[in-house]
Amino acid sequence: MTAAGNLKRGEFILYQNDIWQLLKTEFYSPGKGAALMRTKMRSVSSGKAMDYTYKSQEDVETVQVSSIEMQYLYKDAEHAFFMDQHTYEQISIPLDIIGDIIAFFKEGEAMFVYIYNDKPLSIRPPASVKLKIIQAEDAAKGDTVSNAKKEAIVETGAKVLVPLFIKVGETISINPETGEYTGRV
Amino acid sequence: MIIKSNYSKGGSYKTYLKVVQSIRSYLNENGYLELDLPVLSPALIPEAYLEIFKTEFTYMDKKQDLFLTPSPELFIKRLLAQGIGDCYYLGKSFRNSEPHSPRHQPEFTMLEWYKVGEDYMYMADQVLKLLQHIARATSGDGAQITYQGSQISLSKWERFTVAEAFETYASIKPNILLDESAFINIAKDKGYKTESFTYEDLWSQIYTQEVEPHMGMNGYPTLLYDYPVQFAALSKPNNDGVTAERFEFYIAGLELGNCYTELTDPVLQKARFKAEDKGRKTSGKIGHPVDWGFIESMEAGMPDSTGIAIGVERIGMIFADVPAIQDLSLITFS
Repeated sequence: MTAAGNLKRGEFILYQNDIWQLLKTEFYSPGKGAALMRTKMRSVSSGKAMDYTYKSQEDVETVQVSSIEMQYLYKDAEHAFFMDQHTYEQISIPLDIIGDIIAFFKEGEAMFVYIYNDKPLSIRPPASVKLKIIQAEDAAKGDTVSNAKKEAIVETGAKVLVPLFIKVGETISINPETGEYTGRV
Repeated sequence: MIIKSNYSKGGSYKTYLKVVQSIRSYLNENGYLELDLPVLSPALIPEAYLEIFKTEFTYMDKKQDLFLTPSPELFIKRLLAQGIGDCYYLGKSFRNSEPHSPRHQPEFTMLEWYKVGEDYMYMADQVLKLLQHIARATSGDGAQITYQGSQISLSKWERFTVAEAFETYASIKPNILLDESAFINIAKDKGYKTESFTYEDLWSQIYTQEVEPHMGMNGYPTLLYDYPVQFAALSKPNNDGVTAERFEFYIAGLELGNCYTELTDPVLQKARFKAEDKGRKTSGKIGHPVDWGFIESMEAGMPDSTGIAIGVERIGMIFADVPAIQDLSLITFS
């Protein structure tokens, strides 16, 4: 149990008998009545996201979730499959729950999987992923707009907006949660 | 905390400056006197739900507690009682115990603006004209702005009384909204935790969860008015006895300002001060001397007036079309 005012992004909580991961927390003091904690959270059972406002002094049940490093194997239409590199046990997680970040996962890469009561819940999104550009237009000569971006395709097939100077074959880093280019590797 | 300079986002900062300049030009042209006021005060107006910054003046072996003002109101109302007339303050204010977030910083710029002889609805008309003036200064079009992909027309207010907004968005009927025990029961039925929380706490929670996300989202700025007397603060009660002449206004879900027809009755004001001071003590907030001189200056004759406090960085966010206050700032802390 903790006061809602202490909740942090990334933590897991119990709400209406379901486990939710906090995607966003914002302390808010409207000056009328108690201070509040605005949250955005995602259900680990349905993948559904919702907003909920707690009173900052309200007790919230937090859930201790561990994370285990696993190898991402492949995905089908509904699930992504992972293997525990110590036990060689395979598990699957519905794509709905992993969300859009799956587009940036390269087969064979190591990922952290959240585990609660021996059950896999979801993926801990890496802060950044490094992927090779497989398709991008050449920059037009004389285009000097400094913030201009072009669309490129990375090796997982995902589309990313990159600066004009990025070429096919280069490796870039991406924030998988926002899908944004963060730098050249 | 780390100090960061942020000049690469100079474009938004320049729009923010234009907003500030256009607020000044609008008010100066309309006969309001700008007030340069202290931000340190030895006493404050007690407010149960705001935390303050405390510091200390020292000289030799003398010490004096001083407080950063959460609002310039205590100074301005004294000046109104002395006959200063229509006026405004545009400068820093301070609120503690609220972390830096996209919509709030502990140190922020506030416009506090008073019109003598008028009420809150007069101020609502003036605010709309000010928004149109800012829009002309920043985008060349006083009628229409775009914020984060949404078109907003500044041609009129979308208007809701607080009771209408709760009925529309939270399905709570007006008679229940104003009945504390019935309201707490409804909150319980809706699944909110009610044990050891007050009517004000639950009202605020349901408002923030169910009502506020719809404010200023229908293509116009929203004027939300006539608050329950429990939230009257320094505003004048309505004739119905259960609501007060207070409004807040919103664009795109963002609360931008808070207006009262000012309470001029020193007896009622004194009672509210005592209740707020008690609220501060029971919730363990930082103690400060209560500004009883404020009540005395009101006893000397406070003119009928309306006043509004506007978050200037938030107005800047709207007109610079950025999602966070920090996008406007030259210096940020993280």
